[in-house]
Amino acid sequence: MSLPYRQDMPPAGGFEMVKYKRNLPFRGPGAYVILGGVTAICAYGFYRLGMGNLERRELEREKVWSRIHLVPLLTAEGDREEYRRQQGAIAEEREIMKDVPGWEAGKSVYSNPKYSQ
Amino acid sequence: MSTEATATAVKIPPMPANIPHVDEVGATSGPLKSAAFFIGAYCKEYNEDFMLCKNENRQPEHCLKEGRKVTRCAIDLLTKMRENCGKQFDAHWECLEKNNHEYFLCRKPERTLNSCMFDKLGLTKTIPGTPAGQTPVHEKQNPIYKPIQK
Repeated sequence: MSLPYRQDMPPAGGFEMVKYKRNLPFRGPGAYVILGGVTAICAYGFYRLGMGNLERRELEREKVWSRIHLVPLLTAEGDREEYRRQQGAIAEEREIMKDVPGWEAGKSVYSNPKYSQ
Repeated sequence: MSTEATATAVKIPPMPANIPHVDEVGATSGPLKSAAFFIGAYCKEYNEDFMLCKNENRQPEHCLKEGRKVTRCAIDLLTKMRENCGKQFDAHWECLEKNNHEYFLCRKPERTLNSCMFDKLGLTKTIPGTPAGQTPVHEKQNPIYKPIQK
């Protein structure tokens, strides 16, 4: 049995090129882009924070003034109440101590003339 | 004997007769907070007079007369508010009651109340000490602090 002679040859169209070039797919924005982006976002955040602090200060002033405007009203009411109770207490003391000669109702209990000069 | 003493002790003493009677305001914190800036604007003279008087002497009997004027003025303003802007007033103070008494959570009812008060009574809400050239915080169109739900 004899086969015809056949020389081994490259494939039709030749060998494909040797892959020696680097093949790196795009992996997102570069370092400086990321750094710049982060800086920009942080800057906006701090700006917003500062504006918020200023606004909060104004809100606090609003609250404080709403209370200041109510102070006279509430104080007046409280004063009337306190005066009424004071007078009631003095009247009661006068009634209780009416048998004690020389007793002055409403006077401090520390006002003994014995030790004053 | 002892019961008699306690009975007199708990008896609420009446106001002395030489003091003219004045009705108390009787409003709770919500309506008072809602009306605070209008009380400050409407009763400015009486309030300042009272505070100057208190500055002279802190004794409660010293400023009773000025205090009555303050109370009467506040009652007068609250009645006027109820007559003229009752619905807006109610909406605002009920909003304050539901929102932890924070003004910035109730800007919407506050604006309607403010405009009504300006139209009917000519009173405006001004916050003293706002930096010059700056929108007052209650008139900011796009504030940073606002309710999360619209």
